[in-house]
Amino acid sequence: MTPSVEDIRQRTWDFALALITVVLLASLGIQSFIGTLYVWLSERNVAQWSQTAGYAEYVRIMNIIAAPQVVALVIVMGLCVPKRLFSRKALLAASLGMVGVGVVGGMIAGSLGRGLAIYLALAAVIQVAVVVLTIAGVRGPSYLTQGRLTKTGSGLLHLGFIVFAIVVVALQRSALMLPVFWVSAVLVTAGTALSFYADRIAWRRSRPQTEVSFAEDDQAH
Amino acid sequence: MNPQQTYTLILQLTEKLHAVGGPFQIVIAAAAVVLAAAALIPTASAWRRPALIAMALLLLAGEGVLAWYHFRLWQLAVVIDPSTGGLTGHIAAPLWIESEKLYVWALITAIMGTFMRRHREELLPGVMVVVAALAAAGVLVGQPFSNPLPGLLGQYTSYLQAMSMGGQAALGGFEGMESARQFYYNAWFMWVHPPLLFFSYGAFTISFLATIQMIRRRHSAYETTAYRWIRLGYLPLTFGMLIGFPWALAAWTGEAWWWSGKVNMSIMMWLLYTAVLHARLYLRERGMWKTVAALAVLSFVVLILTYVTTYVVPGAHSYAAVSGGADVAAMASRIAGSLIGGRA
Repeated sequence: MTPSVEDIRQRTWDFALALITVVLLASLGIQSFIGTLYVWLSERNVAQWSQTAGYAEYVRIMNIIAAPQVVALVIVMGLCVPKRLFSRKALLAASLGMVGVGVVGGMIAGSLGRGLAIYLALAAVIQVAVVVLTIAGVRGPSYLTQGRLTKTGSGLLHLGFIVFAIVVVALQRSALMLPVFWVSAVLVTAGTALSFYADRIAWRRSRPQTEVSFAEDDQAH
Repeated sequence: MNPQQTYTLILQLTEKLHAVGGPFQIVIAAAAVVLAAAALIPTASAWRRPALIAMALLLLAGEGVLAWYHFRLWQLAVVIDPSTGGLTGHIAAPLWIESEKLYVWALITAIMGTFMRRHREELLPGVMVVVAALAAAGVLVGQPFSNPLPGLLGQYTSYLQAMSMGGQAALGGFEGMESARQFYYNAWFMWVHPPLLFFSYGAFTISFLATIQMIRRRHSAYETTAYRWIRLGYLPLTFGMLIGFPWALAAWTGEAWWWSGKVNMSIMMWLLYTAVLHARLYLRERGMWKTVAALAVLSFVVLILTYVTTYVVPGAHSYAAVSGGADVAAMASRIAGSLIGGRA
C-alpha cells in the first residue's frame, strides 16, 4: 500500500523530532564532558578548588547552560507523544505558552529554578493526560513504537523523568522529596521495563521486523 | 572492646586471606592468559565456551573467598561509641568496593557471556578477551586478595588507634568511622547501586561487541543483538543512577558533588545510551545505522572513561588524589606496611 502524503509528512515530523532528541541528549552529554574537564583542570591548578567560590560559580553556570536544554527536551517530549491528539500548530502554541508561563513565573519569583519548576509542573499535567488516554486506548496519542503496553511504558517513563526533574529543581529541601522521588523512580523503572519487554507479556505479540543487510540498504538508497 | 586485640585479629584474618588468595590471584592471572589465547587461536574454537565457563567458575570461587573475608571482617570490625561505651554496629563492607570493582565487573561479564545465546559464536572471542583483560587487571591492579579493602582497613586502623588513645582523639575517630559505617559501608544504597551498575557495565560490554560485529558485517541482526544487551543494561543503570540522588543529598550534605567529574561522566554515559535507544527507532532510515553504531561505540568509550574518572578526577564520588584520595593512599600504604611488618 502506498503511504499517503499525510503519512509521509507525519513520518518526516517524527524523524525530525527523534533527531532533535538525539542532538539534545548529545549536547547535554558534551556539556557534562566539558564540565568534567573543567573540574579536573581546576582541581589540578587551584588547591581545594571545590571549597572555593570558583566551584559555586561553576555550578551556577552549568545549571544555566543545562536548563534550556532540559526545557527543550521536555518540549520535544511533549510534541512527540500527543501529536495526533492535537494539531501540530496547537501543540507548538501550547508548548510555547507553557514556556512563557514558566518564564513569567520565574521572573516574578526571581528564580530560574522556580520558573523551571512551574514549566515542569505544567508538562507533568499534560503527560499524565497522555498516559491516561494511552491506557484508555483512545485513538489519539501517537508513538513511534507499536502496541498499547509499549506505548503505556513509554508514556510512564517520560512522565517519571518529568517528575524526577521536578524533584531535582524544586523539592530537594522539601519533606515531599523522598515520596515524590520514589514515585518518579517507580514510574521510570516500570515504564522502561514495560516499554522494553512489552512483547514478553503482551497477549498479542507484534511480528518482529525482518533483519536486513545495511550494505544492500545503503545501495538501495 | 580491646583495640589492640581487634587490630591483631583483623591482621591475622587479612594474612589468612593473603595466604589463600595470593596464589589464587596468580591462578586467575594465568587463566586469563589461557582464556585470551583460546579466544585468539582459531583452532581452539571448540574450547571457547568451556574455557569461559571455567573462568566464570574460577572467578565465582574467588568471590566466595572474598565473601568469607567480608563476613569474618563484619564479625570483628565493630564500632563503639567512646562516650557511652555502647556498640553502634558492625561494619558490613559490600563485596564490590575499592580493590574489588574490576573483579566484580569481570565476574558479571563472564557469567553473562556464559549465558548469551544470540550470535554466541561470533561474540564469544570478544567476550573472552574482555573477561581475560578485566580478570587480569582485577587481580593484578586491584589485588583484592593480597591487598584487600585498603581504604576501609586504613580508616578502621586509625579508629582503633584513636580508641586506644582515648579522650578527644577517640571521639574524633569514632565520629569519622561511624559516619562511614552509616552512610557508606552499611548504607543500603552501597549494597544496591554498585552491583546494578556493574550488571549494566557487563551488558554494555557485550552490546559493544555486538555493535562491532554490526559494523563489520553491516547487518541489522547484530544491531538487534546489541539493542537487547543495551536494554538489559539500561534498566539497572537508570534505576541505579536514580537512587543515587536522594542518597547523595543525605550522605554528601555540604560536599561538592553537584556537577562533579564522576557525576558528569555518569550523566553523559546515560544520555548517550538514551540517545542510542532513540536513534535506533529510525535504524532503517538512510544512513541511520551508522549514527546508531557511532553512538553505541561512543557510549561504550564514555563508559570506560566514566570508570577511569573515579581514579583521575577528584570529587565526592572519587578515589582520585587531592583530598580524600590522598588519605586513602596513605591508609593503603600504612596497611601494606602493617602486613609486611606482621609477617616479618
